[in-house]
Amino acid sequence: MKRILVAVSVAAGVLLAACGGNTTAVTNPSTGGPTMPIPPQAALIGAGATFPKPFYDAATYAYNLKFSQVSINYQGVGSGAGIQQLTKKTVDFGASDVPLKPSEAAAIGGSDKVVQIATTLGTESLAYNLQGISGGQLKLTPDTIAGIFLGTIKKWNDPALKTDNGSLNLPDQDIRVVHRSDGSGTTYIFTDYLSTVSADWASKVGTGKSVSWPVGDGASGNGGVASRITQTPGAIGYVELAYVLQTKMMQAALKNHDGNFVIPSAAGATAAANRFIGTSPSQFSIVDAPGNDSAPISGYSWIMLYKDQSDKTKGTALVDFLYWLVTDGQQYAVNLHYAKLPSRMASYDIFVLKDVSSGRSALLSVSS
Amino acid sequence: MGQGTAERVAPPPLVVTRRQRRRISGDGVFRAIAVAAAALILLIAVIFVVALVIPALPAVTRFGLGFFTSRTWDPVKTQFGALAAIYGTVVTSAIALLIAFPIGLAAALYLAEESGLRLLRGPLSFAIELLAGIPSVVIGLWAFFILTPLMRDKVDPFLNHTLGFLPLFRGSASGYGYLTAGLVLAIMVLPIMIALSRDVIRAVPRALREASLALGATNAETIWSVILPYARVGITGAVLLSLGRALGETIAVTMVIGNRNEISASLFASGYTLPSVIANEFTEAVGNVYLGALFYLGLVLVLITITVNVLARLLVWRFTGSEPTAA
Repeated sequence: MKRILVAVSVAAGVLLAACGGNTTAVTNPSTGGPTMPIPPQAALIGAGATFPKPFYDAATYAYNLKFSQVSINYQGVGSGAGIQQLTKKTVDFGASDVPLKPSEAAAIGGSDKVVQIATTLGTESLAYNLQGISGGQLKLTPDTIAGIFLGTIKKWNDPALKTDNGSLNLPDQDIRVVHRSDGSGTTYIFTDYLSTVSADWASKVGTGKSVSWPVGDGASGNGGVASRITQTPGAIGYVELAYVLQTKMMQAALKNHDGNFVIPSAAGATAAANRFIGTSPSQFSIVDAPGNDSAPISGYSWIMLYKDQSDKTKGTALVDFLYWLVTDGQQYAVNLHYAKLPSRMASYDIFVLKDVSSGRSALLSVSS
Repeated sequence: MGQGTAERVAPPPLVVTRRQRRRISGDGVFRAIAVAAAALILLIAVIFVVALVIPALPAVTRFGLGFFTSRTWDPVKTQFGALAAIYGTVVTSAIALLIAFPIGLAAALYLAEESGLRLLRGPLSFAIELLAGIPSVVIGLWAFFILTPLMRDKVDPFLNHTLGFLPLFRGSASGYGYLTAGLVLAIMVLPIMIALSRDVIRAVPRALREASLALGATNAETIWSVILPYARVGITGAVLLSLGRALGETIAVTMVIGNRNEISASLFASGYTLPSVIANEFTEAVGNVYLGALFYLGLVLVLITITVNVLARLLVWRFTGSEPTAA
């Protein structure tokens, strides 16, 4: 909810800047890249994941101020519903926190029929509610996180937790695990992380947008999980970084692949993403990344569209918008605590956007 | 021509036949529209059930009746069973009725009886209607922020202390779970329970009541041995109608049940209900079997609630001779 407020205020700020005739706030080319292609008049509809919705809302609003001939309506209906609507061609683009699975791609007509681009990057925190222990003091390792979510670590004063937190006075209190009750990309990234660091988790539970949780209670949405944690003494749960920052919850320092304890941050997510070369829709996992500052539980969010656009005008407007989104549009992500796309990923996005065509003629016309 | 003139001057008949009246007032047209509208409702109901069955088929064919006995709900391995959700639905509804029945019946007796403080009756009836009108999401919000901490810190520890010898009241309490959800449901079905029971009790013939009093029975004796036995069928109907409401309630329950696919003896434990699973998981349910399993749950829920509702309406109807009103 807070994030939506921020999105609105960002949008309002943009509006004020525009009214004041100060157009540099809108067009500020943060990348210093080539000039933006001028899109034709079109009304675009997209649907899908809720995680990037505040970013898309702020970005589409800003884009509409810049190019008033293009209006974009994004509906946060959930990744599954977004993919279904794209399959039925009721929307111009779909969005998901996880790229299309082979079965989903098959339903659309094969993976060579769609183009998938990473649009933004997020990272997750482990938020907790423990009296007398302030934010960042609690240290968690991959083993203890897996133990807590597998239910093998049940009390806050468990010896396994004490070894990493020698100086902390951990209470003799039940650990109350909170997870998402609704299917979500946040859960996918978190369970992907657990499956990567724990063989036990991988075999017993696995990776998915919804899983069969060994312990804990479910709450709906990032906001629901955040509320449950704030409400319940002894609670712990995984939440998008933005929710932690905006609700001032306490979050744990997480031991990353290189053995450093890091507080998850947007910069940490970018650092993690930068360590992976050749990220693509078929190889998209960036959890447990190597590197000193890498935030361990990070992931991209994706937009998918048809490679062959039946409506040339609409298709042109769509690729022009997406080109802007992964370049200049990134500034609106940073304001909302999303991480900036690494330049390598943005280059990949532009590369595949050039594949989008209508009647064999490519739609994106930029020189880079 | 002559005939036409004759007709024109003929005085209008004093008695209009049925057929004539129908033609004059357009009854036939109205009748056709009404029948079509009624048939449309039936058609919508049929289409609704068919539209529920078809998407459920992948799950029905894959899991069959084993769906009802399996407590696994694993989207990763595409293994689904409804037992934990059915159990949670039944337990929370049972708790709701256990609480709402005695309170509702007592309140209904008070409102229906002639004696007693007349002064309170107006405000009380108003309060009941007010309660019936509160959207469930608002009740859920209240329950999430006010009721759950209260249950965790006061009610559950008290029950554990006094009734802890029963497995029902053991275990550590988080404030979320069957008991809290049941309590929320009780609050939500109470208006229905009171309003319907009140109507049923009011329909008891006055002569019976007065005869009992004339024979020297006290007010309490009259209620116990004359009014309640007579109104029994109607009150059962009221209970069943309340049950129908409790079974299908979604959002308020989802906010406090804990959303955990497990069966526990303790009422303090978190659980799941049929509507909650559907509401939580439909947005990201990818694949025919997963989505089918959700539709299968919906089918189960619809069958249960339709049975309960039809039964209830028949009972109330038989007793009061008219359609029951909700509040």
